[in-house]
Amino acid sequence: MYKEPAKPHTLSNFTTALDHLRSSVLRMSSLAQLNLKNSIKGLLERDDDWCNNCIAEDEEIDLLEMQIDHEGIEVMSRFHPFASDLREVISSIKIGANIERIADQAVNIARRARKLNEQPELPELHLLDNPIRLSLGMFDDAVSAFAERNAALAIEIKSRDKELDLLNKKLTDILINKMQDDSANLPSYLNLIFISRCLERIGDHACNIAEDIVFAVRAEDIRHLGKQ
Amino acid sequence: MTTKASQDPLALSNDFVSGETNFIKVDNFKFFYGKKEALHGINLEIPSRKVTAFIGPSGCGKSTLLRNFNRMNELIPGVRHEGDITIHGMSIYDPSVEIIALRRRIGMVFQKSNPFPMSIYENIVYPLRIAGQNNRSILDETVERCLRSAALWDEAKDRLNDSALGLSGGQMQRLCIARAVASRPEILLMDEPCSALDPIATAKVEELIIELKRDFTIVIVTHNMQQASRVSELTAFFYLGNLIEFDDTRKIFNNPSMKQTEEYITGRFG
Repeated sequence: MYKEPAKPHTLSNFTTALDHLRSSVLRMSSLAQLNLKNSIKGLLERDDDWCNNCIAEDEEIDLLEMQIDHEGIEVMSRFHPFASDLREVISSIKIGANIERIADQAVNIARRARKLNEQPELPELHLLDNPIRLSLGMFDDAVSAFAERNAALAIEIKSRDKELDLLNKKLTDILINKMQDDSANLPSYLNLIFISRCLERIGDHACNIAEDIVFAVRAEDIRHLGKQ
Repeated sequence: MTTKASQDPLALSNDFVSGETNFIKVDNFKFFYGKKEALHGINLEIPSRKVTAFIGPSGCGKSTLLRNFNRMNELIPGVRHEGDITIHGMSIYDPSVEIIALRRRIGMVFQKSNPFPMSIYENIVYPLRIAGQNNRSILDETVERCLRSAALWDEAKDRLNDSALGLSGGQMQRLCIARAVASRPEILLMDEPCSALDPIATAKVEELIIELKRDFTIVIVTHNMQQASRVSELTAFFYLGNLIEFDDTRKIFNNPSMKQTEEYITGRFG
């Protein structure tokens, strides 16, 4: 498989349009990474300002998702891309959608964090440390894999998803038990469960991004392999 | 098929079935214009009743190879070849092969439509008339069959005696396709058949190509990558007289094996 055409297009506008699309995806990724980190800061530092910042910035990410769709459609209608170019355009549009969902999960975390911040701090908050580390790491690596067209890294991301799923399940079980013993803090335990669920979904979206990267770089469809 | 054609050593046997994988077989074929070697040992097997597209930059040899299938290149002085081309297992260079009979069985459509300065009707029956066929009912039946095959019947049935030169560009090209299929060839060669047509006429010809493959083995040379990806099942990419890659069209346009193919189809060439 020829992975990455080294030469620029004969049509320089085509190269410019593809580069622009790629830049838009990277810009959206950076914003989503920042928003997610802000929501986690708001949660762990119990600071509503970080949460509010994350919620306010989400609109920019929504606009970037639409911009990526428009740019992708324009590249297809103007330049009729084939092979690696076509895969890159399709993958960019799909990656844009997954980044938007990750940003939505960041907003969900920020909203739940604000509710938690209204209540006394629970020691169980730090049960989220590992899921946070894992899910943020998966998303960061997905962005790096896209930037570097690194299919090997993308494949490796998928292998971490099971661990995150397991952590979410264990954490949910622990918090449900806590809810029975400490009903006064029931809403806070519920918020922690929701946040754990958000982190688990972020891992799923990072995996989707990883799959799209492998498709763009290697022309291989690695989705649903376990089900075949 | 005429009696003469049935005596032709290249004629298909009665038990011919579609799906022959090496209907046209190009075997280490080299072609020279004088001292210049234009094709460097091409090996290729074209299946029957499918559309095979030849793509590649100008001067890569795709049209040269196409014109060898009906030995049209021999009209050019100073040309010679090495290697062989067989159709249905029989060399087209076999001494027993009559070139006229060969060309009757291999229809050809060119970049620029070339209707004869005569009526629509006479254009289509021309190949039959030169083969000695003057039976009016056979000629009428052929005209209707070919115009229907070329999706031109509804537009031309009321003006069959009008000059073919009064048709639109797209209609003229479809008339040429109708004429090419009049002698019931097994193979239809198309050398950039839509390059002079507007998008609507191009779409009609492409639709026609897909219809015609049920009865004919079609080889099309095109510079239009979208066209190759739309109409063909197999695509051969040529560069500098070499066959670089030959594969399923979907593979060629989605994930080609060769770097040069990828560079060409994504517009990163030269």
